[in-house]
Amino acid sequence: MSVRTLEKREAGAVGVRTPLIDGVDKVTGKAKYTADLVVQDALVGKILRSPVAHARILSIDTSAAEALEGVIAVATGADTPVPFGVLPIAENEYPLAREKVRYRGDPIAAVAAVDEATALAALKLIRVEYEQLPVYIDPRKAMEAGAEPLHADKPNNVLREVHHEFGDVEAGFAAADLVREKVFRFAEVNHMHMEPNATLAEYDVDKDWLTLHTTTQVPYYVHLKVSSCLQVDPSRVRVVKPFLGGGFGARTEALSFEIIAALLARKAKGAVRLLQTREETFISHRGRPEAEIKMKLGMTRDGKITACAEECIQRGGAYAGYGIITILYAGALLHGLYEIANIKYDGWRVYTNTPPCGAMRGHGTVDARAAFEALLNEMADELGLDAFAVRRANLIPSVPYTTLYAQKIMSYGLPECLDKVLQASGWAERRGKMPKGRGLGLACSHFVSGTSTPKHWTGEPHATVNLKLDFDGGVTLLTGAADIGQGSNTMAAQMVKQVLGVDLNRIRVISADSAVTPKDNGSYSSRVTFMVGNAAIDAAKALQRVLNEAAAKKLDAQPDDIECVDEVFRVVGGQHPGLPFNEVVKAALVDTGTITVKGTFTPPIEFQGDKKIKGSAIGATMGFCYAAQVVEASVDEVTGKITVHKVWVAVDVGRALNPLAVEGQIQGGVWMGMGQAMSEETRFDQGRMIHSNIIDYRVPTMADSPDMEVIIVESMDPNGPFGAKEASEGMLSGFLPALMDAVHEAAGVWPDALPLTPDRMLDLLESRETTL
Amino acid sequence: MTILPDFRYVRPASIDDAVTALAAPGVLPVAGATDLLPNLRRGLKEPEALVDLTAIPGLDAVEETADGWRIGAGLSLAALASHPSLRIHVPVLAEAATAVAGPTHRAAGTVGGNLCQDTRCVYYNQSEWWRSGNGYCLKYQGDRCHVAPKSSRCFATYRGDLAPALMVLDAKAELAGPGGRRTIPLAELFHDDGAAHLTLAPGELLLAVIVPRNDRLVAGYAKLRVRESIDFPLVGVAAAVERDGPRLVGLRVAVTGAGSAPLAISMDGLESWDDAAAKMLADRLNKTAKLQNTTTIGMKYRRRVLQAAARRLVDGLWEQGTTR
Repeated sequence: MSVRTLEKREAGAVGVRTPLIDGVDKVTGKAKYTADLVVQDALVGKILRSPVAHARILSIDTSAAEALEGVIAVATGADTPVPFGVLPIAENEYPLAREKVRYRGDPIAAVAAVDEATALAALKLIRVEYEQLPVYIDPRKAMEAGAEPLHADKPNNVLREVHHEFGDVEAGFAAADLVREKVFRFAEVNHMHMEPNATLAEYDVDKDWLTLHTTTQVPYYVHLKVSSCLQVDPSRVRVVKPFLGGGFGARTEALSFEIIAALLARKAKGAVRLLQTREETFISHRGRPEAEIKMKLGMTRDGKITACAEECIQRGGAYAGYGIITILYAGALLHGLYEIANIKYDGWRVYTNTPPCGAMRGHGTVDARAAFEALLNEMADELGLDAFAVRRANLIPSVPYTTLYAQKIMSYGLPECLDKVLQASGWAERRGKMPKGRGLGLACSHFVSGTSTPKHWTGEPHATVNLKLDFDGGVTLLTGAADIGQGSNTMAAQMVKQVLGVDLNRIRVISADSAVTPKDNGSYSSRVTFMVGNAAIDAAKALQRVLNEAAAKKLDAQPDDIECVDEVFRVVGGQHPGLPFNEVVKAALVDTGTITVKGTFTPPIEFQGDKKIKGSAIGATMGFCYAAQVVEASVDEVTGKITVHKVWVAVDVGRALNPLAVEGQIQGGVWMGMGQAMSEETRFDQGRMIHSNIIDYRVPTMADSPDMEVIIVESMDPNGPFGAKEASEGMLSGFLPALMDAVHEAAGVWPDALPLTPDRMLDLLESRETTL
Repeated sequence: MTILPDFRYVRPASIDDAVTALAAPGVLPVAGATDLLPNLRRGLKEPEALVDLTAIPGLDAVEETADGWRIGAGLSLAALASHPSLRIHVPVLAEAATAVAGPTHRAAGTVGGNLCQDTRCVYYNQSEWWRSGNGYCLKYQGDRCHVAPKSSRCFATYRGDLAPALMVLDAKAELAGPGGRRTIPLAELFHDDGAAHLTLAPGELLLAVIVPRNDRLVAGYAKLRVRESIDFPLVGVAAAVERDGPRLVGLRVAVTGAGSAPLAISMDGLESWDDAAAKMLADRLNKTAKLQNTTTIGMKYRRRVLQAAARRLVDGLWEQGTTR
């Protein structure tokens, strides 16, 4: 259906394909992103970064820079005595390095100057003396006895070890007809969000106020860290997130550049515009860590998985960041996709002298899922079982269901996802009969709809939405949720529209401005639709009660008998032609004036993990999104190049609140998985990043993008807003093993390392020839 | 990427004025700027002046005669790829031009700019901060080649797509300079030194490439890369075959991404295209190609795939030659 034919009244209703409410502003260039914001006399901020990967800082001399005409402020680690980090238990990063630098690019000093040329000249005048220390790029070397610790509190450079066992894994393997173990290697990948990092920081000397406009997914965390690192009362800080050009997890924690911008603005007593280059954006990183995963599975002859054991080593980079959560996630989502009675997980998150890793779409779960599904496909092949049959042999029997990890599953659309992609791809007729060099592959995957326990426990609701209704009849929706391009503003407006029965354009969304909007934890772990959506429904119901009471009074009826359809209030089943919306608003405002209502949402305690299971707060969720996908690919045996021709992907999103937006999210998720599977990887040459541009960091282009058939499966989650669940992360990881499976049919080799760049593929083809 | 350095900007309206402007020291020509701008922003060049060639009348013209075509250096790659006569008679040019970067680059980038583009290296195409932290390099501001530390020359690699295609067509380059005009074989425009890969004298300007007509020739270009767009060639190979029944009349092969200049592979004296000839081609590619660690994908792969792709390309052209 084309957008133009959409009835005005229909737009935004649940299940109706609706363009994002800010879509036109974006495609016409009207939308203002952080770097577009102009402030009179704003200074230019620049960051001096370490040229060495691991060293003690012996001295920093900024005197020449300070003396340069046009330099207004110079800051160093001496100005930032408070460390930051997204997890209260692991705050070990300084906005500007103190005592040590731990990766090439670690910020050391920063300047604010009247223009860019002066700022750059000032950086060149700063003298730093280093005492170089051993550099660790390989986590196994960093873990060796006697290695120089990056952080004094972790002598073996292991940030966190995780050891979990559920059931009896040894007994499970003993009961299997086939046990296989294989090591998989996954390169580190970056989000490559299109908009580079940027902050505009303004300091009001008179009031001691700091205002930040910044490229973040988590304005609330930026707010906390700026006030903590600058030792300023949080009431003096305001954080605004303008339009944002993507995030994918790169911006789910406060980053040093944001705190540095605030620091410079305060020191310079003015406004500082700090724009980061693409290279600096790559240096900030927070991407998916390089991982070595040893996966072991036991399977019966008919495909039932008897046990699973995973060992995972993640190269975490120089600081803690989200590391503890990432290494927990790599084990936590072994649960919840299939029914498996025995699961063991051992994980090591290791510090290395590379940019800090963090959260990235499918946080922590992607490589583990890819290794699992890839080995599952190999074992199915070895036993002569169909890949679909093996999945069906391990489905969760019924819902509600509780996993060994205490995750509650209330809706489970995976069986339908399998049925749909089987049919759409013609698997039954085509698999095993593909032309030479071409193959089909299958994999399944899942992801959480928000984490049920927040990182900062406050006792507050997980999400709060305010609605303001005034004399004009306009509904203003206030939410702290950060629309990062995923469409949360549209989603929130839809929830209110659906409940109130009003036009979408009656609702104005104001989001992510701490001075105006209620706090929100931020856009990560696919929490926003579930939590903010439910909070918006709660708020809308509160407003509905007020309006229904006013209408009931005028119509001489009971509030419970009132309904509002297409902006007209009527008594259900009554004869009265009804009252227009504005008339009811006027009636409702009598005596009270402007109406403000609030809605909240908090996951019930039974969805927050089991305190007896250490770490089970991670991976605890209200509902999983499920996906099955078939990938069709071919391999060029001369060049080693893989071409992906088609992807069929079925995703259980609970309910597609806006199928147009859901499809886009699913396409993006699959596509990002394709990038990781095919071509994306970071590369370091003795600590020197050599991929810091879009030529050498190979995100797929339009020309590499396959045809994609998206099939939406609706399992109607009982707790989701109108049944909805997560819709943009769960399908990512499945692409990787599905491609590996397709490559096997096409070329007869089982890949064990990603990305499958042509050189790796040719090595694989060569190994096939030598083993024949 | 950061701010541009300060430079003067001149936009001459005639070839003579351009030659005069280019003869001054520290001056660089610019047309589409797709290669130059990123390099300027990274501080890889600090020209005293940029000489914009886009106001020179006729520099983007294609002239067709009975002998062939004269393709103006100012012609955009997009226009080259869609030129009606060139598409029919020398389709390898459209093939190579369409392989360059992405559509927006091809709309702006020119034939001359593509041919004269700077050489590339992972130790060179980096920011000022990156290079200064690495002691710069032999190509610019430094005295050490990080690719081959013992070397006294720079191994930055030529990665133009058009040059090999034009070379196998036996194209010539028409130059204008302070001493007048001259025409040289295209291969002589280049010099196998990453820090000085063009043979243009000060003030000299590439005006056009001359492509001879030879309808008996079938030519093709194989670009090896990871992605189907944007990427520079990891290696690229062009070949032109002239066949008379079972007899191979002529075979020309040229490679890019395999040295600091596009390199012609000498294939004279072959009677037919068979396994022995293919073996000879592989040997000569191996001997001529000077692959170095100047890009993120390793040398082993590029060597293997260069040989395999060249073989496949010539096999295909040989087959195509029978139908001509």
